[in-house]
Amino acid sequence: MTSIRLQLLKWLLGPILLVNLVLAALVVGLAWTPAQVAFDAGLIDSAELMAARLAGGAAPQLPPAAAANKDRIWFALRSAEGVHLAGAAGFPPLQPGRAAYDAEIDGEPVRVVARLVATPAGPRQLGVARTLRQRLEVRAAIVRSLTVLVALVTITLVGVVWLSVSNGLRPLARIRAELAARGPDDLAPLPAEQVPYEIAPVVTGFNELLDKVEAGARAQRDFLADMAHQLRTPLAGMQLQLEWLGQRHAADPETGRALNLMHLANERMIRQVNQLLALARAREGRPNGAPAALDLALLVQESVQLFVDKAGARNIDIGFELDAAPVSGDAFQLRDLIDNLVDNALRYTPAGGQVTIACGRHGQETLFAVEDSGPGIPAARRSAVFERFVRLDDKTAGSGLGLAIVRDIASAHGARVVLGDAAQGGARVSVHFPQRS
Amino acid sequence: MALQLLLVEDDPVLADGLQRALQAQDMYLQLVRDGLAADAALQAGGIDVAVLDIGLPGIDGFEVVRRLRARGAATPVLLLTARDAVEDRVRGLETGADDYLVKPFATAELVARIRALARRHAAPSTILSIGSLSLDSGTRRARVGERPIDLSVREWGVLEYLLQHAGRVVSKQQIIEAILPWGDDVTPNAVEVYVSRLRLKLDGASVAIRTIRGFGYLLEAAAPSAA
Repeated sequence: MTSIRLQLLKWLLGPILLVNLVLAALVVGLAWTPAQVAFDAGLIDSAELMAARLAGGAAPQLPPAAAANKDRIWFALRSAEGVHLAGAAGFPPLQPGRAAYDAEIDGEPVRVVARLVATPAGPRQLGVARTLRQRLEVRAAIVRSLTVLVALVTITLVGVVWLSVSNGLRPLARIRAELAARGPDDLAPLPAEQVPYEIAPVVTGFNELLDKVEAGARAQRDFLADMAHQLRTPLAGMQLQLEWLGQRHAADPETGRALNLMHLANERMIRQVNQLLALARAREGRPNGAPAALDLALLVQESVQLFVDKAGARNIDIGFELDAAPVSGDAFQLRDLIDNLVDNALRYTPAGGQVTIACGRHGQETLFAVEDSGPGIPAARRSAVFERFVRLDDKTAGSGLGLAIVRDIASAHGARVVLGDAAQGGARVSVHFPQRS
Repeated sequence: MALQLLLVEDDPVLADGLQRALQAQDMYLQLVRDGLAADAALQAGGIDVAVLDIGLPGIDGFEVVRRLRARGAATPVLLLTARDAVEDRVRGLETGADDYLVKPFATAELVARIRALARRHAAPSTILSIGSLSLDSGTRRARVGERPIDLSVREWGVLEYLLQHAGRVVSKQQIIEAILPWGDDVTPNAVEVYVSRLRLKLDGASVAIRTIRGFGYLLEAAAPSAA
């Protein structure tokens, strides 16, 4: 994996360093020339002073001011023909003139100034030489400070680059955070408006991929729904045929038993098919666009007949406590949610038991609750029952999809499902919806 | 009163099962398997209730209903559908169908719906009966077997409404709205009083008024009480 930050730094660091070094070299060069001129001027002064004394007939001697600090200083006095008369023996050849020039004494570089002097003893050549120690020291100091400066500037630039790259990459971090916060079924496209021009192609590409995944998921759901629908007609036919056979063979217990088993199997298939449809719907999120303003009490009333028939068949006392329960959402999904919770309660409550369906406002929430007098759900199993195909026991026929469907639908409506204990000792499942504003 | 039904269903197993189940309920049944034949049968007339599958070969159930209503015929139509998508329900009822049932359905539910549709479209002032209880809304006489029973106006109203919806759950509110023409204010508590009086008066009849806790009542046939 490569890092854009590191790549950019790598590309920028070289050029930045190079530019800084070139600048530093220029500064050193520029500072060196005036220093050289100043030092040379000092040397020329010493030579002129000495020459003036010689011209006055004094003995050759270096002016006291010239013997300065770390530098060594020499002189040489030669005849016009170049014969050595006084001063340092190893003095380099003299080239009398205005400018100072470079030479070496005892292997150490020196600057030399030479003059022609008319002394009382005749014309003489005078040379004064001085080591470069002090000026080299000054130059070293300049280079040292420049190095520190260049380093500081480079480090600052690196920091600035790092910060600006991080800033520039912030939209990516935002996208990552948005994706991380999503549920597994949320395939909505990423917002492309606030994304910078450079990242837009990535977002567009990603959204196209999301579209494809969404289309795939939709095709799968449609297939599931289509299958379920296709199965309903033959299942309905089978049910009627079995009912008829059962009535016809009511007198024959052996046949009756077999037919009853077939009837139960058929009913299980019907339920499973209906559950698959409900699951396909629940996974669809919001199928019909804007959520509608609904009343759970009215939705329950639509199914009262069905619930009473089922309860009657199992000899269960079913009761209702329906108050106005405003929610906003999808009527089909909420019907599925209600059906599943009531169906579960009726399924797990033994004959002679009680099931109570309630809805209404509760504080800031709208509540739908189903209580039964069945065995209840042990606290340890309460999270497991929301998984698909998990059933509490093997005796009761169920698809194992019920509570998973309930949970999917509840979360699509911003509601939470709470499992608890009923007053009669059974289970109490309540769904807490945010109240419609 | 034997009903004359038109059943339009192309699935042979389901059609055959429906035929057996409905004939067992004392209904006469004409079975056709496609939309055009259904249209023709409806034009021929003499049908009390049409039970129509939506997905049919030829023209579909919606189109059959549309043509029927376009002719101005009021024949009640019950749609059978394997789909329960919103569009199907809405479209079906908008086209002029009276009711719909999603497959697979309980036979009892289908029979109850067919009877309800037939009742709604039959001439008024008929004798309503279930088990040994009968109500003659023409003469306003109620009887259990041969024994006449005395009912107050409101008791009559409640019992008639329950009988009209025999086998169906009715809410107290529905009962109140049904008997309102006879009185000004009726509270749910009053309905409970009428029902408990009716239970006493119907003692010995082979019907029972079941209480649906917190909701309403259900009148159904029952074994005669031992008392």
